[in-house]
Parts: sequence; C-alpha cells; structure tokens
Amino acid sequence: MDRLITDRRRVLAAGAAVVAAPALARAQSQQPGQQPGALTIAPTSQTGLSPRLTMHAIDTYHGLPGAGMTCDLSVLDGDRYRQLKTVVTAQNGRTDEPLLVDDALKAGRYELLLHVEDYFRARGAQLPTPNFLKTVPVRFVIADLGQRYHLPVLFSPWGYSYYRGS
Amino acid sequence: MAGITTHILDSNRGRPVAGVRIDLSIKQGEGWTLVKSAATNQDGRTDAPLVRPEDAKLGEYELVFHVDEYLRSQAGAGDPAPFIDRPAVRFSVFDVKQHYHVPLLCTPGSCSTYRGS
Repeated sequence: MDRLITDRRRVLAAGAAVVAAPALARAQSQQPGQQPGALTIAPTSQTGLSPRLTMHAIDTYHGLPGAGMTCDLSVLDGDRYRQLKTVVTAQNGRTDEPLLVDDALKAGRYELLLHVEDYFRARGAQLPTPNFLKTVPVRFVIADLGQRYHLPVLFSPWGYSYYRGS
Repeated sequence: MAGITTHILDSNRGRPVAGVRIDLSIKQGEGWTLVKSAATNQDGRTDAPLVRPEDAKLGEYELVFHVDEYLRSQAGAGDPAPFIDRPAVRFSVFDVKQHYHVPLLCTPGSCSTYRGS
C-alpha cells in the first residue's frame, strides 16, 4: 500500500511538473486550493446551457484527468480537414471555454486531433519509439444545432474510446 | 504471427459488422498513401491480413472504417445522423516481428479501439 501511495505521488508530481505553465495557471485559478492532478475535481453539469461542443479528456493509464494535452479541432471542408483552433486541456481535462458555442457551432464532420504521444512522453511513461498511438484523430458528426454535444475521450498509450456524452 | 489485422464489431448488438470497406494507408512525408482496401466478411474480419507477416514494414498507418452507412441503418428513429460516421485509427508499427491487431468497436454514438491480439 505504501508503495502504491508513493507511486501515485510520483505520478502526480510528474504530471504537475510537465503541464505547460499557462495551462497550469489557468487550471489553478479555476480550482483554487486544489493539488494538480487531484481526483477531487467536481463533476460539471451542463444542463440548460445553450448548444455547444465541449470535451473531456480522461487519462485511463494514470487514472487522472488528461491535463495539459494539445488538441487540434478541424472541420471537414470538401475532402480536407480545415483547422479551426488548437486548445490545451485544463487541469480537469476539459477546456476553459467550449470548443464551439452558439453561432460557431455548425453542422459538419469534425476531427479533434489529440497529441497523445507528447502527452505521455511528458509524463515519463515508458513507451516504444515511436509509440503505438502518436496523434489520435477523434472524428464525429454534429447534425442538430439545437443540441449540446459533449465529447468525452478515454485514452491510454494503447487504445482509446469516445462517445457522445451529456 | 506479425503483420496487421483488424475486426469491426457492433458493440451495441454484440455482432460483427460485415460488408464494410476498410482503407489502410501508410504515412509518406506529410501525406497518407493508400496501401489497400478490403471489405469485412461475415465474421467482421478481412479474409486475408491487411499486411501479411512477410510484408510488415515500420511506419505510421491509418485505418479508415466506412461504417457510416451501417450505423445510419442502426441509429434510433429521429436521429438525423449518427455521431460516429467514418472513424480513422492511426497507429505505429514499431517492431515488424510483432503482430498488430487493431479492432474497431462501434455503435451510432461511440467507438473505441485498442491494440488487440
């Protein structure tokens, strides 16, 4: 048990050390008094909010929110994905602002590209070179502009899943 | 056995997905070059491995699963379009002596993949 606790602290410390400073500062300002990587970040309810696209990255390898991960959002335009924005996840694995909200939410086929290899390397995970997963394209459809779209992504160095959440 | 194999499973029904096109591409420079296309059989697999053991090469690969038509046929009434349409999975072959089984589990609202065996 002691060893488990020590390992867990080391993981947390490693995670905290590598998160980009601006993302960390933002995350801490959102969650005052909370240790980086702590699992006590409260659930977020989005009931009653206007139509929007939000995401939540969960690192199932470390059992922590996927904090400080770079993600590129693109929309399919003809036969190419056109990049709309790049975001870095906050300490709770979400983004400070919705990925798309109100007028910016348009019907289409989207891709959220997660920089998974960079994320795990920065945390000192033992990986092959190159890792099995480098950048993960999460592709999904937004069809009904009257609805909220929540995109949770559960990921590890060896696999991932995503789904339409709420 | 080395090489690359895949499998499509409808995790809502717990059934393989037959007759779906899969495109395998390899990264060359900044772009993706199609290696081969195949269709899933009644077991949700391809009759032959996508890459045979003797043809295994290091590199970054992409699988595109054309499950959109199938998922539309499975979506609930009133869904204008399923959330999942044509998922792509990118992975690296980092050791040609190893086998890479990369399955897709999908429903109209979700999908997942992992390094299988």
